[in-house]
Amino acid sequence: MSDLPSSAVRPPSQDPLAEDVDELEAHLDSQRMYINMGPSHPATHGTVRMRIELDGENIAKADPEIGFLHRGFQKSCENVTWTQCLPYTDRLNYVSAINNNLGFLNAVEKLIGITVPERAQYIRVIASELHRICDHLTMIGATGMELGGFAPFLLGIEGRELLWDRVSELTGARLTTSYGRIGGLNRDLPEGWTDKVLRSLDKVKTICAEVVSLLSRNRIFVDRMRGTGVISTEDALDFGFTGPCLRACGVDYDLRKAKPYWVYDQLDFDIPIGRNGDNYDRYLMRVEEIIQSDRIIRQAIAKLPDGPIIVDDWQVALPPKPEVYGTIEGVIAHFKLVMEGVQVPAGEIYDATESPNGELGWYLVSDGGGRPYKVHLRAPGFPLLAALPRMIEGKMLSDLIPTFDTINMIGGEVEQ
Amino acid sequence: MSETKDPKMPAEKAPPGASNPVADKPPAAHSQPPPPPAPPGRPPPKNPGKVTVTIDGTEIAVEPGTNMIEAAAKVGSAIPYFCYHPRLSVAANCRQCMVQVSNAPKLVPACQTPLAEGQVIETGSQKARDQQRANMEFLLLNHPVDCAICDQAGECRLQDYYMTHDNLPSRLEHGKVQKNKRKILGPTIVLDQERCILCTRCVRFMDEVAKEPQLGVFGRGSHEVLDIFPGQELTSNYSGNIVDICPVGALLSRDTRFKARSWFLSASPSTCTGCSRGCSIWADSYGQVTHRFRPRENEAINASWMCDKGRASYRDLSVDRLFVPLVGRGNQQREVSREEARQAAAEALKAHLGKGLAVLVSPTVSNEDLMAALHLAREQLSVKEIFVGGRAEGEADHYLLTADRNPNRKGLEWIAKGLGLTLRPFSELQAALKKGSVQALWAVGHEVPTDAATFAQSLEGLAQVVVQSTHSTPLTAVSTVALPAASHLEDEGSFTQLDGITQRHRKAYPAQELAMPHWQWVTELARGLGSESLWRSARDVFQAVKGEVPELADFGWDTQAPRNKERRGINPISTSADGRPPGYREFGAPRVRGI
Repeated sequence: MSDLPSSAVRPPSQDPLAEDVDELEAHLDSQRMYINMGPSHPATHGTVRMRIELDGENIAKADPEIGFLHRGFQKSCENVTWTQCLPYTDRLNYVSAINNNLGFLNAVEKLIGITVPERAQYIRVIASELHRICDHLTMIGATGMELGGFAPFLLGIEGRELLWDRVSELTGARLTTSYGRIGGLNRDLPEGWTDKVLRSLDKVKTICAEVVSLLSRNRIFVDRMRGTGVISTEDALDFGFTGPCLRACGVDYDLRKAKPYWVYDQLDFDIPIGRNGDNYDRYLMRVEEIIQSDRIIRQAIAKLPDGPIIVDDWQVALPPKPEVYGTIEGVIAHFKLVMEGVQVPAGEIYDATESPNGELGWYLVSDGGGRPYKVHLRAPGFPLLAALPRMIEGKMLSDLIPTFDTINMIGGEVEQ
Repeated sequence: MSETKDPKMPAEKAPPGASNPVADKPPAAHSQPPPPPAPPGRPPPKNPGKVTVTIDGTEIAVEPGTNMIEAAAKVGSAIPYFCYHPRLSVAANCRQCMVQVSNAPKLVPACQTPLAEGQVIETGSQKARDQQRANMEFLLLNHPVDCAICDQAGECRLQDYYMTHDNLPSRLEHGKVQKNKRKILGPTIVLDQERCILCTRCVRFMDEVAKEPQLGVFGRGSHEVLDIFPGQELTSNYSGNIVDICPVGALLSRDTRFKARSWFLSASPSTCTGCSRGCSIWADSYGQVTHRFRPRENEAINASWMCDKGRASYRDLSVDRLFVPLVGRGNQQREVSREEARQAAAEALKAHLGKGLAVLVSPTVSNEDLMAALHLAREQLSVKEIFVGGRAEGEADHYLLTADRNPNRKGLEWIAKGLGLTLRPFSELQAALKKGSVQALWAVGHEVPTDAATFAQSLEGLAQVVVQSTHSTPLTAVSTVALPAASHLEDEGSFTQLDGITQRHRKAYPAQELAMPHWQWVTELARGLGSESLWRSARDVFQAVKGEVPELADFGWDTQAPRNKERRGINPISTSADGRPPGYREFGAPRVRGI
């Protein structure tokens, strides 16, 4: 308070204009202001702190500070068996846990050198795309809310809850799914589940259309989104952007097309590409990807083959329970897999899948034992957050919120 | 083997036509056409004096007589086996080690087949692997579904080889053959005949190593069982070894059965302190509880074996231990802090410097403890003579167990000689006590070769009795200051066994509560008496004193130490959760353990 100009404590009876004419020409740019945004702020999803240096209403410098959600994920994985890493991966991008689960499993399976059964591949695609829609709905809804409209958020969450109900029917949990096992899946689709999914997708489609009608041509929304948070294609590539944020810059790169895994190459879908690399394009990418994911799920359900959901190899997959309880062969395999873990051949691998926010990469090293020697995660949100100062410095403070929203940084995976 | 080979060799090398008086030569009139030319002789060995073979594509030259399994292990090929044991005769009855060789049309058992010059061995060919898999299937056919309740689970060869060599579901369509599930063979061993795969390792061990044949295989076919000779009890002092060599969970120790799961146990290399033999052992512990001793391979001392007496000595480590210092006598005894105990002990010794202070050391403590204690006795206490306590003599047996039940008598003799101190037998201390020439006693180690209670009574008249003890004994009951000492598993150190072999042991886990190693108490006492020595570890003590002990001066305290913790137990909670390594967990209050 003592730093206030002396005029502020002047007795009100005196007329300031009469004495000090200079006050009318107040020098507003005389001092920079430092403000904190976060770690607990309504517009930071997850716990991240932004140290912002303001020059008037412009951001002179922005310094994102992470670490509030650090859990030692990579190191923790070294202490448990490969299968036991799975619950840790739930906590990476917790809005779309299945993408993390299955991405990790895909990398481990490549390191072992096994192919999962076709039915499991289809179900993996369905589950991943469901969670992709959830992730994008969350991002769109939250952006709408933080720019002043509460209805899009409620609608988005309604759609997400609908899909999370389907996810919980499939996996037993809404968020911490721990779905899939090395070599396939731990459980098959529940009875009548595909019909429910199709009905839910119909509903989500109408919800999504309503959200889009509320936002896409909304003057306030468009003014704050279009032309803000711009990043050039070169910068985006240099920073290591992937996913919708890179495609918003006009780069056609999606791992589902560029390096197809599972059965993505047998399904017909498009990759939306933006042009401007601004917040509005990043928003539109998500809107269009929801529609494409919807297409993928409908095709996958239509083509879903019968068959086993996990490989029939007791070196990798747990034996069926009757074998475990009734035969010595089954109980030995079960014991060894649970106590010592799946024996992954010594070697290293980098493998990536397309998660809602971009390339979710796993660098795994095995020393031939049942536990990872090293697990490194390339979180798609990390380069995005790293580029935030570049995107926002010199711009208005009000641009920060939409930019932070559309890069959709998730603390769980960035800070690990 | 050598008797049968030697006469043959000259016969093969004899030139054709040489007179052989034994041979039935046909008369000249009936002479046959000349015999066909002899097959070409063996090519000279590629590496003279060695046998050169190719195992899985790698050529290797080994000493003649090397076992094929050992030779394969040298090139990194692990041939699976159950019945083979490098220190027992070859039985070749488990049929698990069948491999393909170039000089035989059929698969041969690797444990029994001698290596031949130029032989090409395939341990993992399709044919061999099929055979190994089929054999596993037969072994598991009648094996009970017992892993969940079996002590061997986690260190069982059946489990290991099932994962690496079989890994297929059961094809058994009817019930399994049932045999005696729990037969008490003797005070230490229980047998489960259903789990037995009849490899006869235990039978051969009792015949060849323990030299007390008591086990045999009885019956035929599916009714074949391992059993003890009728009417006998397995009372051999070496019976514990058959539990170790049993590749499955058929023979189990009654002592440790159902007490600990093997995958939780951490194995620390240590030394058995049961007698002066000093067998190398693994001390298997979980947290601060030792669950068993197992022999550790040491060609110079105990080969792969140890006796049951030594095996049972782990139990003392958790019975009647002293963990908190005591000050005062009889009813006045109270628990105090380390600092208070140190001051009380230092004052007690200081008061009797040069005035009837006797020093009693036990040859059951480590070299480092002895070095520290004797150094203090010479430097600060100005004592010239050391009385020797320790355990009373027992009876030696025919193999490893010695009569002297003190693990470090040799070390004590060396160190006392090196430091210029005279060792006096325990009887002289008793005589001096009777005479009344002793006013105060400082004892390092609580063991005495007589009845401890009687000896303790004779100390009641002394002004001060300072005892460093691992256990609560009659001696600590009459002490004025009792200092809780760590056992040898609770710190690093070395012992010198009766043949003069010095062995390092590693720390399995830290001492509980306020207990400290003997050398550390001695260092504390020395500082209380005005010394400025700053020994921070057993290693410091050894390095500081070894120069005065010529026999130990060359011992590589670091270089001759076994690798620390060969196997770390799997821990129910993740390794670095609380910053402590796996072997150092669950210290303090016990808690519910589980996965």
